[in-house]
Amino acid sequence: MATKQVRYEALVKALHSDLYRYAYWLCHEKQVAEDLVQETFLRAWRALDSLKDEKAAKSWLITILRRENARRFERKRFEMSEYEEESITDTHSTSSEQEIENHWLRDKIAKMPEEYREPLVLQVIGGFSGEEIASLLSLNKNTVMTRLFRARNQLKEALDDEPKLRGQYNG
Amino acid sequence: MDDLLFRRNIYADPKTTDPDVISAKKSDPAKQKFAQEIEQLDEHILAALNVSIPEELSEKLILRQSLASHQQQKKSSRIKLALAASVAFAVGLTVNHLQFSHAYSSVGDYAIAHTNHEAHYFNNNTEAKVTLASLNKKMASFNGSFSDGLGELMMADFCRFDGMKSLHLVLKGQTSPVNIYIVPANEHLTFMKEFANGELNGVANDYKNSRIIVVGDKQEPLIQWQKKIRDNVRWST
Repeated sequence: MATKQVRYEALVKALHSDLYRYAYWLCHEKQVAEDLVQETFLRAWRALDSLKDEKAAKSWLITILRRENARRFERKRFEMSEYEEESITDTHSTSSEQEIENHWLRDKIAKMPEEYREPLVLQVIGGFSGEEIASLLSLNKNTVMTRLFRARNQLKEALDDEPKLRGQYNG
Repeated sequence: MDDLLFRRNIYADPKTTDPDVISAKKSDPAKQKFAQEIEQLDEHILAALNVSIPEELSEKLILRQSLASHQQQKKSSRIKLALAASVAFAVGLTVNHLQFSHAYSSVGDYAIAHTNHEAHYFNNNTEAKVTLASLNKKMASFNGSFSDGLGELMMADFCRFDGMKSLHLVLKGQTSPVNIYIVPANEHLTFMKEFANGELNGVANDYKNSRIIVVGDKQEPLIQWQKKIRDNVRWST
């Protein structure tokens, strides 16, 4: 029991941030993201004995979280394309140039199609390789790489088109 | 590696470890510049994706789990208590069963055991001193009587025949005493007309309300004993 508790706490401390951010970019709502993470870790606790390889912990948790998110849709038939832009506003913003750009970019990422955003989040936050993302999302690797290419390409073009930010970006 | 392919690769994964992409980057300053741009873009993306984490989220996660597992423990201790109660109940039943159930299942088994148990009190030379009158006095409680003596009666006494009040007669036999049991009719001992073990033979006969069992050694003509009993016994009801 004690070792299970220790393992669980280590898992929470190491991975809760990544998992929360991933959840946030899946659902765009802080409260829902937090609930998803809670539910995910609770399920992880119950199934902790089935996790044999600690290195696989992150993808294991992400798989649980995606399943939880899918269940949420089954329950609510929530309409995904509509989200409130207020919800992605960082209330702790200090209005520094960096923050303005973050906010702008966050908005662009939020408006990006889900199928491009999810691999990007998994790659940048999760640090997963193309193969790992492919297996998490049940896609083939070429599809994943194409989506990642399009995701960054969109963001790059958007940045290049934004004169106000261009200076900061190049400088 | 052509420029388009290079750009595709870098866009897809700025941190790629693909040796072709890396060598292309090294050999072409324009490609290197592009790669740096995208790496910078990725830093901005990472900063944008890193939304702030709710305060004390990890503490909440740990707390929620402890509460959940506490609930589970409470549930499991209830299950344990229920199990312990069931086990105690089963033990109670078993003890009850062992204590009050009949250890022998057939007339023959019990009669032989009873005979062996009391065998050392009697031998064939014991003086026969029980009269027909005192035998019939005892037989009265079985609503029966003997019209004539069965033989030399050494002992006639009530005893417990597997828990039932019965009459035990010991008579002089040819080489060793013969035991006769008059037992109330019953159902828990299986009736056997004949039975035997290494030294003893036995026969049993059912009458109206009673059962008469004769046990003697291998030399004893038990069928004759049985006939003598049948000819002599009278049942009053």
